[in-house]
Amino acid sequence: MGKYADDEQWSDVVPLPTDEGGDNPLAAIAYSEEYEETMSYLRAIMAANEYSPRVLDLTEDLIDMNPAHYTVWLYRAQCLFAIDSDLKEELEWLNETALTHQKNYQIWHHRNLIVDKLDQCEGETAFVESMFERDAKNYHVWSYRQWLVRRFGLWDKGELEFTEQMLQRDVRNNSAWNHRWFVVNGQEGAAGVGDPDIRAREMKFAMLAIAKAPQNQSPWNYLRGITKKSGMSLAHLKDFAEQYASLDQPDNIHSSFALDLLADILVEEKNTKQAAQALDLLEKTYDPIRKNYWAYRKEQLGLPAAVA
Amino acid sequence: MAAAKEDGNDTLDELLKDKARIEELSSDEEEVFKRGNNDAANVGGGVPFPGMDQLKPKRKLEYLPPWLHDASINLFHDDLETPTSEAQQKTRAECLPLLTGEDTQGLELNIYGLPHLRRQKHTDFLRTTFNKLPAPYQVVDASRPWLFYWTVGGLSFLGEDVTQYRERLIETVRPLQNPTGGFGGGHGQYSHCACTYATVLALAAVGGLEVVDRKAMWHWLGTVKQADGGFRMAVGAEEDIRGAYCAMTVITLLNLPFELPAEAPARKAGLDTFTDRLGEWVGRCQTYEGGIAGAPNNEAHGAYAFCALACLSILDVPHKSIPKYLDVQALASCLASLQTMPEGGFAGRTNKLVDACYSHWVGGCWALLQAALSGGSSGRNSVKLDDLWSREGLVRYLLCCCQQPGKKGGMRDKPSTRPDGYHTCYSLAGLSAAQNHYSYSKEGQAVDKQSGRLIAAFHWTAERPTVGEMKALKFDEEDRVGFVHPVFVLPMDVIEATRRQFAESRL
Ligand SMILES: [Zn+2]
Repeated sequence: MGKYADDEQWSDVVPLPTDEGGDNPLAAIAYSEEYEETMSYLRAIMAANEYSPRVLDLTEDLIDMNPAHYTVWLYRAQCLFAIDSDLKEELEWLNETALTHQKNYQIWHHRNLIVDKLDQCEGETAFVESMFERDAKNYHVWSYRQWLVRRFGLWDKGELEFTEQMLQRDVRNNSAWNHRWFVVNGQEGAAGVGDPDIRAREMKFAMLAIAKAPQNQSPWNYLRGITKKSGMSLAHLKDFAEQYASLDQPDNIHSSFALDLLADILVEEKNTKQAAQALDLLEKTYDPIRKNYWAYRKEQLGLPAAVA
Repeated sequence: MAAAKEDGNDTLDELLKDKARIEELSSDEEEVFKRGNNDAANVGGGVPFPGMDQLKPKRKLEYLPPWLHDASINLFHDDLETPTSEAQQKTRAECLPLLTGEDTQGLELNIYGLPHLRRQKHTDFLRTTFNKLPAPYQVVDASRPWLFYWTVGGLSFLGEDVTQYRERLIETVRPLQNPTGGFGGGHGQYSHCACTYATVLALAAVGGLEVVDRKAMWHWLGTVKQADGGFRMAVGAEEDIRGAYCAMTVITLLNLPFELPAEAPARKAGLDTFTDRLGEWVGRCQTYEGGIAGAPNNEAHGAYAFCALACLSILDVPHKSIPKYLDVQALASCLASLQTMPEGGFAGRTNKLVDACYSHWVGGCWALLQAALSGGSSGRNSVKLDDLWSREGLVRYLLCCCQQPGKKGGMRDKPSTRPDGYHTCYSLAGLSAAQNHYSYSKEGQAVDKQSGRLIAAFHWTAERPTVGEMKALKFDEEDRVGFVHPVFVLPMDVIEATRRQFAESRL
């Protein structure tokens, strides 16, 4: 009795029932009959190393019932490749499945295997974008996008504009900032922000974003990343940082991140006394939850305690 | 290891709270929005959506820490509203009344006015995980080992005796072990690094590791080691930093040889050991933000920072291995920035929301990072390195915001979410990190001369807080969580027993 037991197509298979692990297993799941039966057929099929079209039906059933079942996904992928199944059809099926199980993780690895084998990525970036409509920070989707860009060399194919659109929607979306960093700097052998023109463009981009919302950490991190990677002196950022945090106006600080950057600029200038002042402002007034961290940074300056 | 809160619909949500939290990298924002206003009623605020003027609960200023003063809370607010800032304000509004004590949710308070740790309730909550689970739980069928670990882990952090589960756990995991080595999520499932890690830790906690086929395990681990130095989660699965941490944990605890088996595919690429190119691979995961991504080029994430630091702390003594492969100052800055204001807990990524599970993933980084920064003398009795983070902030967030009030117990991500085993276990581990001191002995050796075992991770000691420290952090003895090993996330004595158990074992 059951979908598979009653199906002649499966009559040659002797299902392997679940070994529950003793009489009194911990956190045992009261599986539905349907799930239990389908799993017992999967075990039998896997034990026989069978790769055939009916395996695709079986794994589809299981994925419907439990999309987090990594074994089913991996076995399905092996089967697809072994029987030379139509991978475009698989992608279409995946598109629907992804919509119902968006947070599922295995599905993105599976997609990655399929698209890699297909060796073409038509429609993929558009599909990914539709996923971001629902969750603009989904880690797996972003990771998949990064893989796409690298695998298919999409560096100059509208990726930069795409990050711009995403940041237009939410300038605080750090995943989009990270992606932009990757697009600009991730290509093997590319100069990235080491190139003066690219650096100028990216700095301007970050600075404009900061102007929109100064207490947004993402573009400040991006700016710092640029200075570090390109080896440029922080001094170039002093005027900019002081627009948001100036020691001359300690009561009028618009961004704790500007103050943090200013402290590092002052350290670079060997103006440790003023650097300590900036860190003091963070510690005492502008970022009290990180009091200990700012105190540590002040200690690093090597000033006598009285001065700091 | 953080959780996939995938796609549960609302009716199932209650039942499925534990489901597959192996890779929680979901968007907190979206979930907060989904839960919407009906949950606001539960958290006492009842504010549908807060404007700044609604964010000022009545409270006695003198008792509150500086980051909860009105002046701090209202420091910066950029006019531009985006989905990120809206979600942050909503979270702030649900947490503030609990943090200030305006709403105590009916919890019993300690003498400092913070809620007591509800030991008995959390214990009861964790124990129910081991009951027979109803059919909708079949979506966790591939991650049941996590339920074992979160339950016995959480219980043991609370000081409960878990050895009573020994025989049952051994029988339960027997069908999960594959003859070719390693553990899968269930009977007939492929071996998987996360399932193997969780099973081995759970078995260690109950004293049942003899059920592990060590030789087969060693062979299986050889099949997931990659030519670039990292590890895949399973054969054919994704390569990420969880794999590296999980695999190295298992190798070290079980005292497996760190040479690769002869048939391991990575040998063809010229690798000889499990540790070859590993540090370099971990180093490639550090991003321009200073934090650590799950794999090179991805976004920095708190859970992966822990995996990276713990993995490096297994590879060699932390003050050598961590600075060798990572920019420690940049990482410190990034991790410090994840402590959220005004909530005091940690977020997982830049501009994301506070969540109790990061109390461990990020909170657990500090002992490792401070050991790296202080050159192997992070103890209070050696050259003192002051904390880089706010223990006080984390204790307050966990006790005030993350304990489920009422009959049920358990701990939760944030007030508008429901408790589950995952958040209970890692909230308690984070509380332990905030309450206790962990130091690394600088005399520690990385490799045992006789056996060749990697022993760098076995030189940690724990110290309880002083009375003065407890007072400063506002918790009393009843609220204190036991010692949790900074690398292996089990009680210290369990790790010591495991080290001894296999000290003389060879394959
Ligand atoms: Zn969480």
